[in-house]
Amino acid sequence: MKYMIMTFGSAEEGVKAMGRDWMREMVAFMHRLDKDLRESGELVDEQGLADGSQAKTVRFENGIPVATDGPFAESKESLVGYWIVDVENEERAIEIASRIVAFVKAPIEVRRVMDAPPDF
Amino acid sequence: MQSNIEDLLRELAPQVLGALVRRSGQFDASEDAVQEALLAAARQWPNEGMPDNPRSWLLTVASRRLTDQLRSETARRRREETAAALELPVQSEASAHDDTLTLLFLCCHPSLSAPSQLALTLRAVGGLTTAEIARAFLVPEATMAQRISRAKERIRNAGASFAPPPSSERHERLRVVLHVLYLVFNEGYTASSGPELGRADLTTEAIRLSRMLYQLVPEEGEAAGLLALMLLTDARRAARSTAEGWIVPLEEQRRELWNTDQIQEGVALLTHTLGKVPVGPYQLQAAIAAVHDEAPTAQDTDWPQILALYEVLERIAPSAVVTLNRAVAVAMVNGPLAGLALLGTLDGDERMVHNHRLEAVRAHMLERAGELTAARGSYRKAARMTASIPEQRYLAMKAARLS
Repeated sequence: MKYMIMTFGSAEEGVKAMGRDWMREMVAFMHRLDKDLRESGELVDEQGLADGSQAKTVRFENGIPVATDGPFAESKESLVGYWIVDVENEERAIEIASRIVAFVKAPIEVRRVMDAPPDF
Repeated sequence: MQSNIEDLLRELAPQVLGALVRRSGQFDASEDAVQEALLAAARQWPNEGMPDNPRSWLLTVASRRLTDQLRSETARRRREETAAALELPVQSEASAHDDTLTLLFLCCHPSLSAPSQLALTLRAVGGLTTAEIARAFLVPEATMAQRISRAKERIRNAGASFAPPPSSERHERLRVVLHVLYLVFNEGYTASSGPELGRADLTTEAIRLSRMLYQLVPEEGEAAGLLALMLLTDARRAARSTAEGWIVPLEEQRRELWNTDQIQEGVALLTHTLGKVPVGPYQLQAAIAAVHDEAPTAQDTDWPQILALYEVLERIAPSAVVTLNRAVAVAMVNGPLAGLALLGTLDGDERMVHNHRLEAVRAHMLERAGELTAARGSYRKAARMTASIPEQRYLAMKAARLS
């Protein structure tokens, strides 16, 4: 079963708050995590997203779609990156997320990908 | 021609691998060598024609690859021992069958996680390539390759040898093999009702492997039961979803689209098995599927018979899901209120907290009982809980119809 593990926030704020050493450790941590997930045969996809300040939001206004600058959500709630893992069960997905949370000390969302079979 | 060759290669794959492992004692390296031989055959045979003895062609090529591999290794003593063993004569037909069974037990080794068991079984026993397996499970090929190589490593570390499990473990190990084949079938089922039609191949592959297993252990009632269950369920494939991927529930399916050959085969298997061996969960589920398949219309369904079968199933393999299914039958025989009462016993059951089916079944019963507002709420709740897109759409549509 596949799960999407999502991190939120703002890269800029991360740098400001945590400093240089933390950035180095973070890069090393992400590198190790990536290696481990590849080696275990569980990684389906992982991507980081451009900072929320660069986002466009398309809204339906006066009967037509209109694009405006900026993220839809507050920057703290803006998606910054995700992993999709194919794992044996939910516990394993939470285990991976917990490893990330223990490092970033910020909440991570774990969502099931809708890949289950319908009932017979 | 092309598909004949593929069928033959897939059939020979476990026999050749079994023979090679038996002689070399090395599952991991032999498995790679056989894959290479299969790929070579798939490239050469369509152009150059099939060899007179395809099995010994594959074995020769695979042995050569294995020898090459071992030559490049440093462990000299092991290499010489193995090289000597490779000179042993080709095994008989009977031992080829035993080898295939031993391979199945090895690929479904209890030290492996279910995703690894599935992947390894499809490659080593099913003869599928890593790329094909990766496509079927919608993961990158590198991820699947890594999963398979990890699985082989884990088997090696668990000290598993290429030998049938001891008789004290055989029953439990066979149960795992059956479960792995059942999961492969389920994976294929996901796809065949969605837009990704290519994945339906897994269903066909699960049936092929289950048929092979049944031929290897015809005395095992559950092997027959699993094959029958797959045939009787897959028989409805053409009727159970629309081209757009909408689910068509059993009672609304156009039964003329059901595959009568598969139904007959499944029923014949059950007739041959039931009553002769100890009954098991797969046989009972197959028997229930057969009752559905043999009804000319949904109204003709013999629900008392289905209820009786679920009662037996609940006795020999009790679970919350079986109780849930029995409740469906109770509602059909004794009315929706009786069904709802039985469902009530599952409320608060730990095992049901994340299972959307309890709510989906309750919604159906409430609708039949005329409790339309409550039914709508239950459909919506079930739609939120399911992890299947076709099912989510079906349940949301049911709720919308009651608005």
